[in-house]
Amino acid sequence: MLGTLIGVSFLTFCLTWLAPGDPVSMLLETADTVVSAELVEQTRHDLGLDQPFLVQYVNWAGGVLHGDMGMSYSAKKPVVDKLLEGFAGTLLLAVVTIIFVLIISLPLGIWSAVKRNKLPDYIVRGLSFIGVSMPSFWIGLLLLYFFGLKLRLFPIAQSEVTAAGIVLPALTLAIYMSSKYMRQVRTVILEELNHDYVVGARARGLSETTILWKHVLPNAILPLITLLGMSIGWLLGGVAVIEMVFSWPGIGNMAVRAISMRDYPLIEGFVLWIAIVYMVINLLVDMSYSWLDPRLKKEAR
Amino acid sequence: MNFFRTKKIWKAISVGLCTAMAAVVIAGCGGSAGSDAVNKGVLKVGVTNFADTLEPTENFFGWVVMRYGLGECLAKFDEKMNVQPWLAEEWKVSDDKLTWTFKIRDGVKFSNGNPLTAEAVKASIERAFAKNSRAATFFKYTSIKAEGQNLIITTDKPTPNMAGFLADPLFIIVDTTAESSRDFSKEGPICTGPYMVESFVKEKSVMKKNPNYWGGEVPFDTVEIPSIDDPNTRAMALQSGDVDMAVNIAAGDMDSFRGNNSFTIDEISSLRTVLARLNQKGILKDPKVRAALICGCDRETYNKVLLKGTFLPGKAPVPPSMDYGFDQLKDPNAYNPERAAQLLKEAGWTDTNGDGILDKDGKPLKLDFVVYNSRAELPLYAEAVQADLKKLGFDINIKSVDYNLVDQMGIKGEYDLLISNITTANTGDPEIYLSWYWKSNINGDNPQNGSGYSNPALDAKFNALSVEFDKQKRRQLIIEIQQMIMDDGAALFLGYPQTNIIFNNALSGVKMFPSDYYWITSLIKPASK
Repeated sequence: MLGTLIGVSFLTFCLTWLAPGDPVSMLLETADTVVSAELVEQTRHDLGLDQPFLVQYVNWAGGVLHGDMGMSYSAKKPVVDKLLEGFAGTLLLAVVTIIFVLIISLPLGIWSAVKRNKLPDYIVRGLSFIGVSMPSFWIGLLLLYFFGLKLRLFPIAQSEVTAAGIVLPALTLAIYMSSKYMRQVRTVILEELNHDYVVGARARGLSETTILWKHVLPNAILPLITLLGMSIGWLLGGVAVIEMVFSWPGIGNMAVRAISMRDYPLIEGFVLWIAIVYMVINLLVDMSYSWLDPRLKKEAR
Repeated sequence: MNFFRTKKIWKAISVGLCTAMAAVVIAGCGGSAGSDAVNKGVLKVGVTNFADTLEPTENFFGWVVMRYGLGECLAKFDEKMNVQPWLAEEWKVSDDKLTWTFKIRDGVKFSNGNPLTAEAVKASIERAFAKNSRAATFFKYTSIKAEGQNLIITTDKPTPNMAGFLADPLFIIVDTTAESSRDFSKEGPICTGPYMVESFVKEKSVMKKNPNYWGGEVPFDTVEIPSIDDPNTRAMALQSGDVDMAVNIAAGDMDSFRGNNSFTIDEISSLRTVLARLNQKGILKDPKVRAALICGCDRETYNKVLLKGTFLPGKAPVPPSMDYGFDQLKDPNAYNPERAAQLLKEAGWTDTNGDGILDKDGKPLKLDFVVYNSRAELPLYAEAVQADLKKLGFDINIKSVDYNLVDQMGIKGEYDLLISNITTANTGDPEIYLSWYWKSNINGDNPQNGSGYSNPALDAKFNALSVEFDKQKRRQLIIEIQQMIMDDGAALFLGYPQTNIIFNNALSGVKMFPSDYYWITSLIKPASK
């Protein structure tokens, strides 16, 4: 685990270092003013960028081991503070989005699997096709236009975490993600429905409802959990486009800005955060397997 | 199959619907129309904010401190970029031009009630020098003294634009004595402006009326400033009344506010110029070719049609928002394709092989135009220039590079044409910009001029300008310098971007200044008052 973190952070360090561009000129020219060569040199020295590459990395890694992730160049704030600022918004958006996704995609996916190749199935597949094809920022702008501007149901931009403000961004993300999920749910359920145990259950005269809820769903849930885990990881990495369109304070916008400003400490902090999120989620997913599927527990013994 | 007749499914669906309904109800309580907020004494402003803290000496964060109506300087710029008194009532310079005396306004208090004394101003300016190395690029002082309400600054060399330099937001006057009990970067600085910080994060700032404001009653109790980075969302927030004024609405959204009785647009040209520097070390060494290139470009059409009037047509180095004789300057190379063709013929360029590209001594008339894409208008300009010049027989090759590389390419002269979108005069005076780009670069003493352009008569004017203190004479010199640059065809001036503030008519007193430092002022009031 530590090895992964070191590998990821070192690779990022190399990439940012190799990328053309220079944090000093980005900092000094945010206002496109004329700057002198001495000022550039001075700033480079202040930031420690005049040191050799490896020294910079070791300094940074040493700081992290002592719990100090350094100062962001562009924000002039500790990286930890910057990450924490966006954390609440990102976490809340991820949770609400996942709830929306489940509400939308589970019933529709199951419905379309059960009614395979009938009208409901075509409708659901058609919807998911449209949902996947539309860029999410555009869905977002459409929702803002209708629900925010025309119907005045939701605020357009509050730039802070509020109950009313979260609905549209979460819905936008949910529409996009559900479109994919509905198909996956459908595929998984269909696969299970073709298993022998379903035929057996039918032969025993169990009702279709009982088969679906008691037998098919518990078996189908494992692959779905894996998919969900990956999506939660993706959401916790921040969704820059959605955050931008809805002025939602989150971690994604911050990361994009950190990259365009070549804010090395902030990029590194963000990458570490993502790596840790994915590890933790994978761990939780693995743990949930044995909890959800008693067979795995027995095997482990 | 009748799974969907089961109770459980319906339960799940009804729970889902209830959630959605609840969300709608919660949201319904939130939104309120713009003028309601104004009547309740709240001003809401939609902006894009780049500052993570309000510490005026970090990066360019001082700009935001000033834009939000928190901080003030000794001097400020009016709508023609002339320097006017602000926290200093008046100033004068000694006969040897090295000692400046600023008389600090009486009766001014910081928002915490402490009086603004010359001593406090001295401490604040020294703090700026100690914390940011950019301060020393404006001027270097040998001493700062406070005598009564007079602040006396002595410099090592003549600094004609001292008051303009001290109007830069880096020199916002803060109460340094408050710093012992307050972290400026976390809680915001203590300044003298009409509003003071209540809470601040990058995404949203809330400010309160400063009870000790020196300039009279402050119109609003609270100012809320959400940072809305997406231009479409910002326009929608203004239309819906989520905010009452917004800064820099994009060209595509302007139409929905034009001719709308509920909103007023204040649009002016900014301090920026978009230009293409011309490298005289290659084909463009020949003044006739340069002149042909410039007068072959239909800049009127680029700005009015292509950029939908969000830019004004270019002509001179300094934009018309400043009082440096824009209207009296004569463009010797105004758009005239016949003259351009004639000039190229005189210079000896003809199309011998019939490929549509002119050539001379076996070499084609081929030029590299270096642009960067981070500003949307720059590639548009480049393509328009390419198309216009194609008709004259130029082969313009557009090279897109990362913005980061442009500066070095300019210094090394690795271009034929190089695009710039540059702020010409943050300090109210374009001297630095003009001399960086066009003063002769002798053995690398002016590295920014990598074009090889050199005109001794122009250099003499620059030398005169650097020691001239009289405002009228400076203006005259800058006009002459501009005319010489235009006569020499030293650069292709493409256009000047416009900036705007759009506000709900529930407000009055909103004004866009060319300097971009003053958005929220104590002059912004509810229209009903």
